[in-house]
Amino acid sequence: MKGIIIQLLTAFLGSLGFSLLFGLRKRHLFAASLGGLLVWGLYLLAEYYVHSIFLANLLASAFAVVYAEILARRLKCPATLFVLPGIVPLVPGGSLYYAMSHAVRRELEDASLYGTATLTKALAIAAGISLVLAVRELHTRR
Amino acid sequence: MDNETASHSALIACLLEMGELLLNCGAEISRIEDTLQRLGRAYGAERMDVFVIPSLISVTLSFPGNEAVTETRRIRSSGGNDFYRLEKLNDLSRRCCAAPLPIDGLRAALDGIAAGKKPRSVVYLGSVLAAGSFAVFFGGTLWDGLAAGAFALLICALQEKLGQTALNTVAFNLVISLLTGLAVGLLTMALPLLHMDMILIGDIMLLIPGIAMTNAVRNILVGDTISGAVRLAESLIWALALAGGFMVAMLALDLAG
Repeated sequence: MKGIIIQLLTAFLGSLGFSLLFGLRKRHLFAASLGGLLVWGLYLLAEYYVHSIFLANLLASAFAVVYAEILARRLKCPATLFVLPGIVPLVPGGSLYYAMSHAVRRELEDASLYGTATLTKALAIAAGISLVLAVRELHTRR
Repeated sequence: MDNETASHSALIACLLEMGELLLNCGAEISRIEDTLQRLGRAYGAERMDVFVIPSLISVTLSFPGNEAVTETRRIRSSGGNDFYRLEKLNDLSRRCCAAPLPIDGLRAALDGIAAGKKPRSVVYLGSVLAAGSFAVFFGGTLWDGLAAGAFALLICALQEKLGQTALNTVAFNLVISLLTGLAVGLLTMALPLLHMDMILIGDIMLLIPGIAMTNAVRNILVGDTISGAVRLAESLIWALALAGGFMVAMLALDLAG
């Protein structure tokens, strides 16, 4: 439990850091960082219930876009402003690192395991985003 | 050159400027094409043909009476995210589509936005916070977080220094990751309390083109295949360069330790 709280808190702070890094305006900072926390919370829940890293990442990133679209419509600004901070906690920095460090030590089996995990997560995030965008486009006319 | 032609060429120059700024702030390709199309129509074009890829913008405005102007602009550097300017550009295009500003006014507004970059201090603060938080997020201790934050300052300083040189992105990532890997490795050798993997993971989050890669796949899946393929190839090559730099650093440290 303590681990989960630390993860949620650092997901919030990490998203806040990236929002600052991207130059997001002050009045949007809280909403964007909260997105990171919610996305990670949803990811943990999804992973617990569906036991699939791919599906959990897909669901969490789809949620990030829905959250961002709602905010963007309310605040009349581009959704990207909230999508990117939201998906930041899902970015597979950890697996990429372990893939590299195993590759250096010639532990090729482990390296390819982490390498595959990295790609799987990246693909799932992109698929989640595109899925929501596709649904949205179904509802807009040319 | 008559008045109308002069205003048409001033307009197309503004549209290209708008497109380039949007690309440099991290706007999506389809959004840029859409924005330029709407703006052109708002200023009286009957038909707009806009084509944007990360390295080129091409715009043709066709006005009533068979008059058309076409210009292209080569984009040297694209990518990066600047939400500060992105939001201002978005506001500007919204306003112009509702009630077009005079072209001089549009030009002045664009120049104003181009000049107002996000403040550097905020970029540093954000990098420190992001790297520190993610070091802890991935399982590091508070000390690892603090160390990752401190190395984020080094990365920012390097990015700023190397960004002024003509170094290409691949070499740039290679150098940054090599230096960061060595610095973190040496510090963790001196202070066994710190975990090298956690600190590096925090700092990697700043460097890996995770966002760029996601955007690339997203471009492909929504139909901007060329832009997506170009960006995907770019970001994979950058990721390899990063991995290469870190791996050389780790090998060197393994040999030394």
